[in-house]
This record gives sequence, C-alpha cells and structure tokens, in this order.
Amino acid sequence: MLKNAILTLLSLAMAIGLGGYSVWYALNAQDGVGAIRIGQWTAFPEVGTLAADPYSKARVAREGVLALGQAEGLAFVAERDDAGEPLKRECAYTIEGGYPTARFWTLYAADQSLGVIDTGKPRQSALQSYEVLRQPDNSVVISVGNRPAPGNWLLTGGSGKMYFVLTFYDTPIASSTGLSDVTLPRILKAGCNA
Amino acid sequence: MRSLLHALILGLLGAGIVHIAVLFLVPEFSERDAWSRLAMASDLYKMTRLDAEAGGAPVVKSVDPLFYAAACRFDLTDGLVRIKAPGDVPFWSASVYDRSGHNIYSFNDHNANGEKLDAIVLTPAQMIDVRRDLPEDLQGAIFVEAPIDEGIFVVRAFVPDDSWKPIVSRFLEQSACELQDY
Repeated sequence: MLKNAILTLLSLAMAIGLGGYSVWYALNAQDGVGAIRIGQWTAFPEVGTLAADPYSKARVAREGVLALGQAEGLAFVAERDDAGEPLKRECAYTIEGGYPTARFWTLYAADQSLGVIDTGKPRQSALQSYEVLRQPDNSVVISVGNRPAPGNWLLTGGSGKMYFVLTFYDTPIASSTGLSDVTLPRILKAGCNA
Repeated sequence: MRSLLHALILGLLGAGIVHIAVLFLVPEFSERDAWSRLAMASDLYKMTRLDAEAGGAPVVKSVDPLFYAAACRFDLTDGLVRIKAPGDVPFWSASVYDRSGHNIYSFNDHNANGEKLDAIVLTPAQMIDVRRDLPEDLQGAIFVEAPIDEGIFVVRAFVPDDSWKPIVSRFLEQSACELQDY
C-alpha cells in the first residue's frame, strides 16, 4: 500500500517537475523552432505573428516583446563568431562584408537580454548604415572593441557574453521569399584582453 | 522493480502532457506580456513612450537603441481609433498588435500619404459602416481592418544621431491616439 503511494507520488513529481522544467528550458534557449540561420546570424521572421509556433508565442507572452512587423524590418542576432566561439565583451572583433538590400540597417552590441550594452560612456554601442564608411566595393568593415579604431568603430566594454543585433528596416528580405540568397557580414575575432 | 519502471514511464509520459499543457497556458496567463506592462504604465488611448529616454526603465523591452517608440492601447468595442502624428522624421513605422502581442498589420512612412502618420484602426464591421458614408477628413487616412477588440498600436521612429533626438521626441509627443466619431 505504502509502496503504491510512493510510486504514484514519484510519477506525479516527475511529470510536474520535468514537464515544467522542460518548458522553462525551451523558452530560455536562444534558437528554437522557426529560426533562419545565415552564417552566424539567426532571425525569427515569424515571431510575433499569428503564424508563429507555440514556443515563440509563449516566449512573446512571457517576455512582453512587441516584434517588428514585416513592413518594418527584420532583426538578426549573432552569438558566435565565424570560428564558432561565443562572442565576449572583452574581445575585439571585425565585422566585414556586404549587406542585403534595405533602406537602412542598425547594428548594436547587446547583453544577454538583448538590450544594448551599457558602456558608461556618452558614445552609444550602436551604428547605423547612414554613418558608416564604405569600401570601394560598397562593403563595410566595422571594428568592435573598447579601444578606438580608425574607420567604423563600435564601442563595447565590460566582460561577459555579448550578442550582435543587426536589424534591417523596410527591406524586401523580411518577406520569406527574399531570404534564400542573402549574405550577411562575417564576424572575425581580432584579439582579446584576457 | 517492475512497478518502479512502470512508475518512471508513467512519470515521463505525464511530463510530456504537462509540457504541452504549460506551453499552451503560458500566453493565457502571462502577467508580463506587452499589454499588461502597458496597462501598468498608462491608460487606454494614451500614447506612452516605450524607450528608456523618457525616464525610468523601458516599458516594453528590446527596442533598437537607435529608435524611439510609443504605444497606445485601444478597445475597438468603444469605436474606431485614429492615430495621428506629424511627419518630418527620417523614418517611422507603425504596427497593430492584438491583445496577446501578435503583429496583425504593419506599415511605414513610404506607405503613407505625404509621409504623415494618419491611420484608423477598425473592425471589418465598422469598416462597412464607414465606407457607406466616408467623412471628408478621413479620406487621406490609412484604414487598418483588424478582426480584434483590444489591441496595441506602436509607432517607431528612427534616430540617426543625437541631433535628431529632440525632433524625434517631439514627433512622438505630438502623436495622438483617440476615439474617432463618425
């Protein structure tokens, strides 16, 4: 009798514990269902629409996000460099390459919650396409780090995990047909302050 | 031993069921979704800044640092809602969300008449009423038909650099979100 009661309790505890934990884990994972990967950049074109999967719907409700609409833009997030190493705030990176068609784009360095990182300096940790210098072939080279660099410089600082968020506004790639042959810039590590 | 195995398998199966149940219940019971956060910050039909610039923590997170944004909540059972803002910013875009934060419709300044934001959100039934006798002053507006009751309207505006901050702030402060009589 007691054995049966204990076994029943065990099943119930497993069901509730594992079930709850697995949802929590799935909602906190950065990539998920419906992600589109281009190089190291990930986008969720369907997030926040009625066509989204239950996981992104739950994530939207839990985090209170108001996702960009298709006529507004599309955001890509990178958490690793091209060698596959996680991005770190104490490291310097070079982001180079061409960008797909859009009216303009913005790039910023983000912390874990995808908010812009606070450098404690008046210069924001963000760049946009109207202010960048371009190479003769229209590509852009951006130096990321806490030391000033010639050309385009994206200021970062502190230590810990870092993400790059690259958002294209008023762009044809936001409709899924345009996403097939898009290339995004590469993220190369330039060095670290250990 | 066999009954222990039985209990473990039952537990795993139950975990699967609980996983699915919790997943579908999260959107229903979330008190942290965009609507609830906005409701805590301001009333219906009131444009509220979403970015941190207006003081305090941002109401709704994950806004591009080079953007300012404002939102208002509306309820279409009260009537149609009209959102207006003067133009003269480098880029603005607008979105209509339903009660649980799904993007229903979005457009930007290139879709608008004379780059001024003038939009009306209404249900399909109200659209039929309005179409029958379209008032003169609504003729230039963008009509957004949304099959919803409660919703959120968000205006985002691009701030290319610091010198644009006061201009873009003024754009959002002058934006209005009000019930429209017809």
